[in-house]
Amino acid sequence: MNALTFDPIGDIAQAIGSLMAEEAPTLPWKADVLAARRGDPNAFEALVRSVQRAVYGLALRLLNSEAEAAEVSQEAFLRAYQNLHRYDESRPFDLWVMAITRNLCLDLLRRRTKMRTEELEPMKEVLPSGEISLEDGAIARQERQSLEEAMTTLSAEDREVLALYYVQKRTTKEIAQILGCAPGTIMARLFRAREKLRKKMTTEEPT
Amino acid sequence: MTPNQCPDLEVLFTELEAGEGSALDHAATCALCSAVLEDHRQLEKDLYRLADPLPPPTLVANVMARVATEPTPLRRELWAGIPILVASLGVGLGLLITNDQALSQLGAALAALVMDGKGLLQGLASGANALWSTAAGPVAAILIILLIVSLSGLKRLVGDGPNPSQA
Repeated sequence: MNALTFDPIGDIAQAIGSLMAEEAPTLPWKADVLAARRGDPNAFEALVRSVQRAVYGLALRLLNSEAEAAEVSQEAFLRAYQNLHRYDESRPFDLWVMAITRNLCLDLLRRRTKMRTEELEPMKEVLPSGEISLEDGAIARQERQSLEEAMTTLSAEDREVLALYYVQKRTTKEIAQILGCAPGTIMARLFRAREKLRKKMTTEEPT
Repeated sequence: MTPNQCPDLEVLFTELEAGEGSALDHAATCALCSAVLEDHRQLEKDLYRLADPLPPPTLVANVMARVATEPTPLRRELWAGIPILVASLGVGLGLLITNDQALSQLGAALAALVMDGKGLLQGLASGANALWSTAAGPVAAILIILLIVSLSGLKRLVGDGPNPSQA
């Protein structure tokens, strides 16, 4: 077959087809979002299940309180449902809900009068490691615990960027979408947060 | 090399990302900078091992219980739109009724539309007739392409359902 053959109708149909095919795999949440908008509770439940861990994780990192993190997560999902008609489904659903969660957490943090004194206690037993295995010895657990504790002493801005990048393994572009800032600023924020954490860890080390 | 000559850490990290730079060259020969970089590498390794905690098992059920009391998002948009529509219509009609001049202008505009519309339709029909008699083939091809593209678009719209955010 001649490669230079021009078939305008076939080409247009192929272009439309490829456009539709490209869209399908990159927007896995779209069908559930559209169904949830029409009032399908199962579709919204599927959406909640798919992002609940990330949402609750971010809330807990920011608030350092299980009860408040659970409450804020619920509120974030409710707000997402109430504003589902405003959501642009070309944007990842999880990032949208994470941005709502973050805003709610920051509002709550602003309302708090005493931030530092109430934070450390609940985190010690709450946050698990990425590798839960028998080989994971007591020393490693202790190290992780001191790392978690050092993290709780950082500012909310530092905690969120560290949690999103290292714990949730988000890209700088995704983090920028959640935080509503330029992607180019994320690496600098990460370096600064990590340096603060390193200093905390260094001062905490027994001499 | 003394610590005073060590570069700013942020510069060092920026060059570390880029993979080259004078600060990085310095760090390769400076014990202090090398130690800081090693600390960061180790810290990154430890940070990557952390994981998000599991949410409370009741979280989804609690969310869905609260969602159950809410109106569906589509209906919510409809209810928000109706008052705006009613208010706009009310204001428009009110202005029209209370203003005799506007009412007479509206009547004149409607009459002119009927008269001009007849002439416009006749002109369009004769134009289409002339176009068809001189270039029937290309016109038919364009119409077919237009139909295919429109049907494809329609199919996509129907398949995806309504999108209130774009309405």
